Amino acid sequence: MTEDMARSSDTTGNRARANPMKDTVQVVRGEQASTYVIAEEHDDGSLLLMPATSDQAIAEPNPEHRASAVADRQELSEGQQHEPSTILEVSGLSVSYGAKKAVDDVSLQISRGEIFGLLGPNGAGKTSTLSAIEGLVKPNSGTVLVDGIDIRSHPSQAKAKMGVQLQATSFQSQLTIKQIVRLYAGLYGMKLSDPEISDSLKAIGLEGEATKPFKQLSGGQQQRLSLYIAVVHEPVLLLLDEPTAGLDPQSRRQLWTRIEHLRQQGGSILLTTHSMEEAQAVCDRVAIIDNGTVLTTETPQDLIQKHKHDPRVREVAHGEVTLEDVFIGLTGSEIRE
Amino acid sequence: MSSSQPTVRPPLRLALTSLLRADFVVFLKNRRTLIVSILLPIFLLVTTNSSKAVQHFGGALFVIGLAIAYGMAATSIMGYALTVARDREKGVFQRLRVTPTPTWTIMTSRLGMQVIANLIIALVVVIFGTTLHHISLSAGQYGLVLLVSILGGAMFLSIGQALVGLVKSADTVNAAGRLLLIALILLASLGQSGALGSAWESISTWTPVGIVMSLFAGVLNLSAWNHTDTLSLAVCVAYIIVFAGIGIRWFQWDAR
Repeated sequence: MTEDMARSSDTTGNRARANPMKDTVQVVRGEQASTYVIAEEHDDGSLLLMPATSDQAIAEPNPEHRASAVADRQELSEGQQHEPSTILEVSGLSVSYGAKKAVDDVSLQISRGEIFGLLGPNGAGKTSTLSAIEGLVKPNSGTVLVDGIDIRSHPSQAKAKMGVQLQATSFQSQLTIKQIVRLYAGLYGMKLSDPEISDSLKAIGLEGEATKPFKQLSGGQQQRLSLYIAVVHEPVLLLLDEPTAGLDPQSRRQLWTRIEHLRQQGGSILLTTHSMEEAQAVCDRVAIIDNGTVLTTETPQDLIQKHKHDPRVREVAHGEVTLEDVFIGLTGSEIRE
Repeated sequence: MSSSQPTVRPPLRLALTSLLRADFVVFLKNRRTLIVSILLPIFLLVTTNSSKAVQHFGGALFVIGLAIAYGMAATSIMGYALTVARDREKGVFQRLRVTPTPTWTIMTSRLGMQVIANLIIALVVVIFGTTLHHISLSAGQYGLVLLVSILGGAMFLSIGQALVGLVKSADTVNAAGRLLLIALILLASLGQSGALGSAWESISTWTPVGIVMSLFAGVLNLSAWNHTDTLSLAVCVAYIIVFAGIGIRWFQWDAR
């Protein structure tokens, strides 16, 4: 969790958000609130914060800046307030590959504006769960509702509400970045003009790469383009499968800033990650999945609180219990294939 | 992100247009495959230009038919099937499948580009072949050549689809495709020339290449259209149904 990204967690796992119209922002950590001055506001939505002087802190004691679950919801656009709060509802989902049961009776719900992390060791069933939600694999049983639309009975309508970033994204190698953007915008029903595409690429820092093929981009650039394509149609639900895998710290930081920005705009995000530190920092709630079954679903803080005295967790913890300790305690220390 | 999304799916026409445009760009950038698929039949026409060789294959019209069949087989089996297998392995199809566009549009677009490739090959080879053999064609015959190209091309595409449906790995598709292509070429060339005997000659007549040869020879000389040509037409349709059925039934979008 970093201060310069203008977010922190309170005890309920919700985060403070900077109001770009104000000069200061209040960041809440546990019970303690601190005031920061917005030193820089970047194009990608990230903010550079500096600790406020006592004068500045007193001068703008704006209670609206305090993060809370209520405030988070209230800050969403008016139109969203009257819509159902559950964006994704997965019930009794089971997926098998031959005799192997990859996902076993998984149920989860994601609310509007929520970042939900699906955590699990290799082969736990994370990607299979996501694939079933995305409509890539046919589940043996269970239902997946995206904003109330069943993915199996109305796949096109449900997919139109989703943005997806797969674990390994690949586009036709002969297409340039500009052509890729035009193609995927069209597939989501959007006709983008050349200036619109140029503006979009500029916004994600790829204006100079428009005529390059995808494979010539760096890992961070590829990730930015993949994420942009995933949200080009402004979906209500964004699915990210290990979005930070293989990225350097700078690219990772930038990606999380963008994800946080999307959440601030009212989007819900379901992601898988192997980074417990990141999950603890950015997710409102996490589910730990192993052997295709959801073991627990909590906020990261509640998960730590709930399991910090568990002997399995104590055994692997070094000092203060972290989400990673809880994860290893619950799923075991053995290395998975 | 917006929550006020339409509950209807995006317009199909726009999705299909976008796919066609992208596949056309890929088609243009892969023009080397098309050029090779044109050069192979032209090379065949040039090397069989002697009257003795032409007689071996049953006449100039059969040689032109054979040349077109080679070109279409090469681009459909090696071009189409291999591209599909490679894109599947790289995850290109998975990325397309998570969009709202129906999966049939993805394949329709690709097949559409391949049909265009087959038509280009057929027209170039027919023009070159008829010029080489001093045969003049009417506008109606050119129309029939296009129809047979579509039909013959569909047959080779269905074979390519069956190959990519039955074989997952792109490397194996590549190897199996080459073997299949060589087998089809040798069987038709040697069989039709009579070098392997009358039994093989009959068998080669009903191979995909043999059928396309008969159909092209038939439409290039309509007055000589006979029962074998009609039967070739029926067998061609049957091949399309069978191979396309296999290719669709066993095709998997994900290589894993």
